[in-house]
Amino acid sequence: MSQKEPPGGIFGLSYDRETEFFEALKLISTAIIVLVGAWPIYWMTQLAFTEYETVENSITVFPTPDIFTLDNFTVITEPEMYTYMFNTVVVAIGTIVTVVIVSLLAGYGLARLEFPQKENFARILLIGYLFSPIVIGIPLYQIWRSIGLLGTRVGLIIALSAVSMPFAVWLMWKYIMTIPEAHEEAAWVDGASRWRGFRDVVVPQCRPAIIAAALFAFALAWNDFTFAQILLPQTDTTTFAPGILRAMGQAQFLPDAYLMAISLAMTLPPLLFAYFMQSYLLKGFQVRAL
Amino acid sequence: MASETGESIRPRGPYIPWDDLPVERETVAGVATVLPVIVLYVLIAVFPIAFAFWASLHDIHTLNPEWEWVGLENYREVMNIATFWGSLWRGIVYMVGSTLIQLVVGLWMALVLNRITRGQKLLTAVVFTAYLIPTIIVSLVALRVFDPPGGVFQMMGAEWFDLWASQTAPLGSRDWAMRLLILIGSWKFAVFVTIFTLAQLRAIPDRFYEAAKICGANRWQMFRDITLPRLMGIVLVVVLLRSIFMFNKFDIIWQLTQGGPGNATTTLPVLAYKTVYTGQEYGLANAIAVVMFLFLLASAIVYFKLFNPSEEVETTT
Repeated sequence: MSQKEPPGGIFGLSYDRETEFFEALKLISTAIIVLVGAWPIYWMTQLAFTEYETVENSITVFPTPDIFTLDNFTVITEPEMYTYMFNTVVVAIGTIVTVVIVSLLAGYGLARLEFPQKENFARILLIGYLFSPIVIGIPLYQIWRSIGLLGTRVGLIIALSAVSMPFAVWLMWKYIMTIPEAHEEAAWVDGASRWRGFRDVVVPQCRPAIIAAALFAFALAWNDFTFAQILLPQTDTTTFAPGILRAMGQAQFLPDAYLMAISLAMTLPPLLFAYFMQSYLLKGFQVRAL
Repeated sequence: MASETGESIRPRGPYIPWDDLPVERETVAGVATVLPVIVLYVLIAVFPIAFAFWASLHDIHTLNPEWEWVGLENYREVMNIATFWGSLWRGIVYMVGSTLIQLVVGLWMALVLNRITRGQKLLTAVVFTAYLIPTIIVSLVALRVFDPPGGVFQMMGAEWFDLWASQTAPLGSRDWAMRLLILIGSWKFAVFVTIFTLAQLRAIPDRFYEAAKICGANRWQMFRDITLPRLMGIVLVVVLLRSIFMFNKFDIIWQLTQGGPGNATTTLPVLAYKTVYTGQEYGLANAIAVVMFLFLLASAIVYFKLFNPSEEVETTT
């Protein structure tokens, strides 16, 4: 660095000015993120609490007392909608359980056991990212139909679990590698079997990774539209996303305010997870699991 | 007896002659742990792709179990239908456009979230929610706000900025449908980039920046020499993943426009879906699926050869 000019900030600003400039930039950025990020959720919420006749034809920004109502939420108790939501919950739980169990086992094997072709297996896992719901779903439609899994929740759970697998297995693998093997060895010395060591020593320490994998599987299952649309063609077993779209196509009149109300109900679980579990989510991604 | 022969006195299950087997016991256990993954993969990937290839060689009506062998006729037809090339092109426009926006916005959000001191948890929750809420809800809100009577963005676009006529639905107009799809998709999926890069940013030790500060580096230099090199690897991986995901994106397009108006937003996944259910040509749809798969495989291989993101992936912490 030359001696003539004193070291300085960018654009020739002094350090103090640079800091001020950055603080201002940060503040503006934050405002934009909050505005753009929270806006659709706010809009959905306020429409859900507004009388549906008002929502259909005019623009309101806040449910003032004269148009405020809770009646929109009665749509949730309709048997059809209730079934869709119930199915979504079942599929999400099924996917989480499958993903966590399978990825814990595979992650343990990859981290602790030696077997041939291990490296190649890990590479093949990455190809899992190429599974496109539509590319897989179209052939799967006939395959599931011929083995009787078409229109069952189990069929959908299997498909979603496989799609979540590459992330979950990498995560577990990398995470278990960070746990010292000495912990397990101590258990073996005390006479524990490998299985016992896995169950009582490794699994309890994997809690952050399990939560991260579960969150990811949940997001996938809760989000899924394509697989459910193709693999659950009947109305009574379908999940929320394709179900609501079909209901919109078939219903004579389905007010937007009702749709917003049920959407709000479906948004709450992810919203709570995002707030309370974000540290696990970031921790999961920090181990460079891909 | 057991103690005489020096065997374990622990109760044992059925006798397995481990020592006589040609494989190590650990190998068996290791393979057994990954077996469920392999079974799932075979069931969900290998089998369907093979099935799709086999089906693509036949002429199949979607609901009719009769298969008629036609050889490569379906592929010839795929190459000849005009919508195929148009869909491929629109798919690439959609993929490139939304990946670029997501990369820029996602990186920017991660940098801001990483430096913010107050309300970080709440802001992170707000940002993450966009990724976690179901696509259908994003679509429902978008359909509401872009719908002519009572849609706030429709009104703003028409009356404030004069982008479209007052009674038209922008999602149903040829000019706007694709642009809006890119923007709405980016709103949701930019967060994916943020999550990955934010995790990386959190992993950079503060002492690097302190050292740089003592040496007289300004913020831009710190960003260029410390932050950016650390992020490069993950950014390459994320760009690959996002491109693949956006190219394959079916849900948000189908929910918002169903490929319309006309074919203005029909990308390859939408075309394949329409071929199954509207066209009832199951064999032809499988041919499209196989073409899509090959395209993805080829682009992934090229990408891996160019940047080798797996090198980044395989490093341990």
